[in-house]
Amino acid sequence: MISELPVPPWLFLIGGALILPVLPKLLRSPAFLLTSLLSMAFVWFIPEGARFEVPFASYTLILCQMDQLSRVFGTIFALIAFAGGVYGFRVQSTGEQVAALLYAASALGVTFAGDYVTLFFFWELMAVSSTYLVWARRTVESQRAGIRYLLVHLFGGSLLLAGILLHTVKTGTILISAFEPDASASAWLILGGVALNAAIPPLHAWLVDAYPRATVAGAVFLSAFTTKAAVYVLVRIFPGWDILIAFGVLMALYGVVYAVLANDIREILAYHIISQVGYMVAGVGIGTEMSLNGTTAHAFSHILYKALLFMGAGVVLHTTGRSKLTELGGLARAMPAVLALYMVGAFSISGFPLFNGFISKGMVVSAAAEAHFEIAVLLLHLASVGTFLHTGLKLPYFTWFAEESTALPTKTPPSMLVGMSIVAFFCALFGIAPSLLYRHLPFNASFEPYTIPHLVETTQLLVFTFMSFWVFRRHLRGEFTISLDTDWLYRKPARVVNRSVVLSAGAFFDAAERIAETVVKQLTIILGNPWPRTRGIFQHEWGANVPAAFEPNAARPPMEKVIALVLACFLLAALLSVAR
Amino acid sequence: MRPWHWMSLVLLAALSLFAEFAMPHDAEHWWSVVPGFFMLFGFVGCLVIIFFSKALGKLFLQQDEDYYDDL
Repeated sequence: MISELPVPPWLFLIGGALILPVLPKLLRSPAFLLTSLLSMAFVWFIPEGARFEVPFASYTLILCQMDQLSRVFGTIFALIAFAGGVYGFRVQSTGEQVAALLYAASALGVTFAGDYVTLFFFWELMAVSSTYLVWARRTVESQRAGIRYLLVHLFGGSLLLAGILLHTVKTGTILISAFEPDASASAWLILGGVALNAAIPPLHAWLVDAYPRATVAGAVFLSAFTTKAAVYVLVRIFPGWDILIAFGVLMALYGVVYAVLANDIREILAYHIISQVGYMVAGVGIGTEMSLNGTTAHAFSHILYKALLFMGAGVVLHTTGRSKLTELGGLARAMPAVLALYMVGAFSISGFPLFNGFISKGMVVSAAAEAHFEIAVLLLHLASVGTFLHTGLKLPYFTWFAEESTALPTKTPPSMLVGMSIVAFFCALFGIAPSLLYRHLPFNASFEPYTIPHLVETTQLLVFTFMSFWVFRRHLRGEFTISLDTDWLYRKPARVVNRSVVLSAGAFFDAAERIAETVVKQLTIILGNPWPRTRGIFQHEWGANVPAAFEPNAARPPMEKVIALVLACFLLAALLSVAR
Repeated sequence: MRPWHWMSLVLLAALSLFAEFAMPHDAEHWWSVVPGFFMLFGFVGCLVIIFFSKALGKLFLQQDEDYYDDL
């Protein structure tokens, strides 16, 4: 079974990333789209159970392994790479496009990896390539946030690697398989690394730190890949780990609380990634077939609507140069199409009937209800209220309505609108025809979203959330503040750490170098050729010809000869070995 | 918000109440037997979220924008 399939789907994206920079400028964006379409085609045409294996030392790497779970995640990753490519058609630099392709490739790589070594390789590639999407915004803030992002992810990667090594040593296999709950130290370490990428508090601060500072199109890719690839790994390896229910519900509410305080529109959306991933994590924790299907479906839906929301916020930033609620307002007349498309995303994330959030969020909540986690059910409903409140009401109200701002938006590039329309189409499509998604879900559990009780509770929740918002909306106005989060733990002490560890060490080495240099100088004078001194005695010119200090140039010619001799020896040895 | 906006919202709410009564379903959870439970939950939940978060913000979470003097 060396290779039942010609190529793993991510190979096209990596190939695209390699050839993109040498293509003529005009062809780069089309090539981006072509490679993402090709990879999507292969996600679909590779038969189930197919494997692509290569030998690696005494192990066998499974670079690509196809089953239904991987196929659903692979499909949505490839689809969003394409839609993001359309959105960024005119606004992405070549560097960003290369990084985005590598990022998409690594997300697919994680999704199809059959062993931990392959998984880890793509995990790290994902961290590095996504960092560039933050840096490419080229502001001082984004550079700093990017470095923090990278360091935190390298920490998460080390947890993962430690877990993998421990697991391999203990079991002798690198193959990926599900862990029993509370299995072993290695499982906990791996869970730590994955939880960091899934942005489970307190390991989540990198997300809200970096995403709002990424490039306009880069944030779209960021919102789709890292957290959802981690959700995939959770479904694959940690189904039924009870602790994930508690953490998932906590996450869902954590994001909601912070979104009240956030002023930057992309920060609000970033906090709501955490909130939405909370549903998925809780679904993994419940661990029934229905809940795992729910997690998979919700990840699929979430990638679509969250990308759409980030696209809408990106247009605002791109056309006005502003992203804070306190500096926005009254833009509806200037960009009605963007508003309409954004609202499709907002309706989807809020779980409006006929949009895709309704058909997937309901699955997770129903699974929790079926398994009798009543408190979890109510808290997830509360998180739903918060989701509609921020993404569906606060953000659009203070951006496009409320008081007129001084912002003068430029024209929206058509490619951005096309990108948004593609994603909005799918948000509505899966909401109207959920079976298109359900029939591909990996586990065997059926769910009917359009039932009277489900519609009743959704309608009541949404209508009264809206009324509450309208009454108290002035309390939600943006404020010129930032909110402390767990990144405080590594940002606030950074200056002290830098001074005590980096700067003091630097000062120590500087001092040591100065002392050494002085000693050497003195020694060269003292131990130098005594002849000039004696000559000085005879000529009665004390110190006339004494070398004042070590003169490096004087020592160079002899070194040249030594190096030449060594090289010649090498050459001779090489010639001899060839001749033999 | 024009009057007909409010009218349609009230209509929707009334419709949902009607559906709840007209088509009784198995009382799976304690809240299934409370009529209009999710109306109250939505309204109060929203209030709780706004004021709880703002209180936390005022308490210690919200800081000046130049709070971090990053390197």
